[in-house]
Amino acid sequence: MLIILSTGPYLENLFLHRLPFFPDNIKISLFIIMFCTIATVEIYLYVFLKKAKMKRDKYLDAKWKEKISNMLSNIIIYGDEDDGLEKVVNHFLPRFKKLPLNNKRVREILIEEIRIYHANFTGFTADVLKELFVRLKLYKYTLKKLKSRLWEVQVEGVREVAQFWLYQYDSLVFALTDHEHEIVRMEAQTAYVRLNKEHPFRFLDHMRGRILPWHQLILFEIITKAQHVKIPSFSKWLNSDNDSIIIFCLKLISHYQQLDAIGELIRLLKHPNEEIRRMSVWVIGKLEAEFVEEELLHIYHQETLKVKVEILTTIGRISSGNYFDFLKGCLDSDLFEVRMAAMKAILGHGKKGKIMLEELLDRVSIPNQGIISHVLDTRI
Amino acid sequence: MDAGFYFFEQIFNSAIFYFALVVMCSYIILCFFSALEMKAYMRKNSFIDYREILVSPYAPSVSILAPAYNEEATIVDNVKSIMSLHYGNFEIIIINDGSKDSSLQKLIDAYQLEKVNFCVNEQLHHKPIRGIYKSRNSSYSRLIVIDKENGGKSDALNAGINVSSKDLLLCIDVDCIVEQDALLKLVKPYLEEKKRVIATGGVVRIANSCEVEDGRLVKVHMPKNIISRFQVLEYIRAFLMGRMAWSRLNGLLIISGAMGLFDKEIVIKCGGYSHETVGEDMELVVRMRRYMHDHNLKYQVVYIPDPLCWTESPIDFKVLGRQRNRWTRGTIETLWTHRDLFFNPKYSILGLLSYPYWLFFEWLAPILEGIGLISFILLASLGKINWEFSGILFFMVYAFSILLSTIAVLFEERSYHQYTSGKDVLKLLLLAFIEPIVYHPLTIYWSIRGNIDKFTGKKTWGTMTRAGFAGNQKKTEVTAVSQAVDIKEQQNV
Repeated sequence: MLIILSTGPYLENLFLHRLPFFPDNIKISLFIIMFCTIATVEIYLYVFLKKAKMKRDKYLDAKWKEKISNMLSNIIIYGDEDDGLEKVVNHFLPRFKKLPLNNKRVREILIEEIRIYHANFTGFTADVLKELFVRLKLYKYTLKKLKSRLWEVQVEGVREVAQFWLYQYDSLVFALTDHEHEIVRMEAQTAYVRLNKEHPFRFLDHMRGRILPWHQLILFEIITKAQHVKIPSFSKWLNSDNDSIIIFCLKLISHYQQLDAIGELIRLLKHPNEEIRRMSVWVIGKLEAEFVEEELLHIYHQETLKVKVEILTTIGRISSGNYFDFLKGCLDSDLFEVRMAAMKAILGHGKKGKIMLEELLDRVSIPNQGIISHVLDTRI
Repeated sequence: MDAGFYFFEQIFNSAIFYFALVVMCSYIILCFFSALEMKAYMRKNSFIDYREILVSPYAPSVSILAPAYNEEATIVDNVKSIMSLHYGNFEIIIINDGSKDSSLQKLIDAYQLEKVNFCVNEQLHHKPIRGIYKSRNSSYSRLIVIDKENGGKSDALNAGINVSSKDLLLCIDVDCIVEQDALLKLVKPYLEEKKRVIATGGVVRIANSCEVEDGRLVKVHMPKNIISRFQVLEYIRAFLMGRMAWSRLNGLLIISGAMGLFDKEIVIKCGGYSHETVGEDMELVVRMRRYMHDHNLKYQVVYIPDPLCWTESPIDFKVLGRQRNRWTRGTIETLWTHRDLFFNPKYSILGLLSYPYWLFFEWLAPILEGIGLISFILLASLGKINWEFSGILFFMVYAFSILLSTIAVLFEERSYHQYTSGKDVLKLLLLAFIEPIVYHPLTIYWSIRGNIDKFTGKKTWGTMTRAGFAGNQKKTEVTAVSQAVDIKEQQNV
């Protein structure tokens, strides 16, 4: 402070009287010093005020969260199923109505807490919580969120609709399944699968954007873990113009073992996209479609390395035993990956394959002996 | 004499001044981009449940590669810590790079390893492998240990890549503490970016004085050692401001050697890690990027702001100096190897922005600062200095440095605020006032020494001495005074 006070008159003289007479670079320097000083002080103030605000928010959030959590716990402890839904809800509702729901903080904590409890309970408790959510008219805020201009608020709304099973609003969610923001789109699609009982995959008919691998991963988890979802035959989307839809459906065909898709899978072996061809071969293997083996061999020589390796793996998976000579012949390949995959495919034939590899071991070149030893080593 | 003085006046009053202004402007622009990138990342990921990747059968497969050299004191615990990472589909490949101590035997004993008939696809060149080990115990089925002749970090990583059977490669320093969800976070960009992601990196933080329990970081503390504290500030600035901004511009040239996730296919097509440089991490990223450009493939190199890896920083100036010296030589080697990128429009951002930035501001700026200081002393001794103007110029740079560090602390506070106590934040803020006077001149000195060593032909990694995580008791504090463990003494070339 003393330094500032003692340099005060000098700085005043510098900035107010002498500045116009300085060379340009000194003028610029003085301007930068002033700018940096003011900005640094502002950041200091911001950091400490923000820290204080965060502390206060944390305290208030914890206070309301504890109170609301206690109220919800009471429902779980004292909400007796024998009393019936109506009686239990009527008993607890007035207490919740006393909460200052016009206060955004309290309202959001309440919605979040009901949502968490609802997600963790099934049966009567879940029904009471949903009824409470509806009677408190909290769904109005959810619908407002769906129409928000901020994508993150829309995502919150979509999640709430899905988690409280608000089936009647599935059309609002459907409208968001082709939203320009990928996260809204993804959330809406996963929500729609849960909400629509008749045509949960309707959004695949009109999707324009690519389903990113992340998005596929989430959708796959939701679909395969959700109960009461009507699973269609996914082969109908295998002729889509959207490659990502085809890849996604291939994963689902494999998971649900949809044998009716094999005809379409054979057609996809000629698809221009390498990844689709590889995935199709993989699904054929998963479905153990023995009669497609010949077709696989037919395309083998024109294929890329990735698809070749997948074909060999698939032959090993089907393990019909019809193509041992072909697999043995792969040892003449220049490509390490092909030789390794072929030997693994022979081993895939079980005991017969193992005996064949042991016989081959003494008759092949040293590099190939290494590959066969590797394949036969069960510790690897 | 007059002509000479005129030359000095023009150069030092104008050219150098405007160069400094450009440097400052570039930092401000980087701050701006970094803020945008961090905000976007945090908004986007606030909804993410990473467990979806953990359980999915369609999550990409990952090989974790960790070269080890004379790590007998900590290797068993380090491997244990890596094995506990939260991820579904991964394997761990520890490469014993010809250790002279009992690192390998310790691993064999601890994890019941035995030699297997592993057939290696020799796609990348490396020193001979003496044996590959796997465990008899199925609990350790993810673990593969390679024992090979000593060839340096790049050589060890190349051997690991050849053995790897997965799609992505996570290259880490075996002595780092990796956050348990690090893989989940690093993998995500590979699944969600519209362009092909060839590499991702996360923020590396300083672990000195932090509490470590069973190889995991449980509480973050500000280092007690002042040298480590300077590095905390420096790392926050470099990672949260610099690399995030370059990630936004898709112009990143470096993924930290301590931890980076790479697309294996591209790494192999590029020829793997180079044996010809001590800055192999930066060189690989540059080579991968130019490969993508040469083949007209759209790509992205992504940095994420989450603190994913904690490393122990050098605690004395001698060791720190050696580290910085090596970094400088690595930068020069990479820039020289890829000199044809300089303002080459074929490489778009890489050639027109990233490369020139590194050349002028990362390599040249310290040299100019050094020359500036010497010239100042020279001119002062000749009585040719206007002390008031010099003071103003000095104070401009000083004030800007403080502002920059303060912004870095602000970024830290607005993002992950690892230092929760107000005292720690205050310490960081106050450090910003000392750092430009005490620490920065030293980094300039080390950088100049790095240049001299490079041009005089020095090619060693140098000895990297660290305090170590001092045992693995239930709760261990990483102290600056614990026994020094010599961890890297390799001849790289």
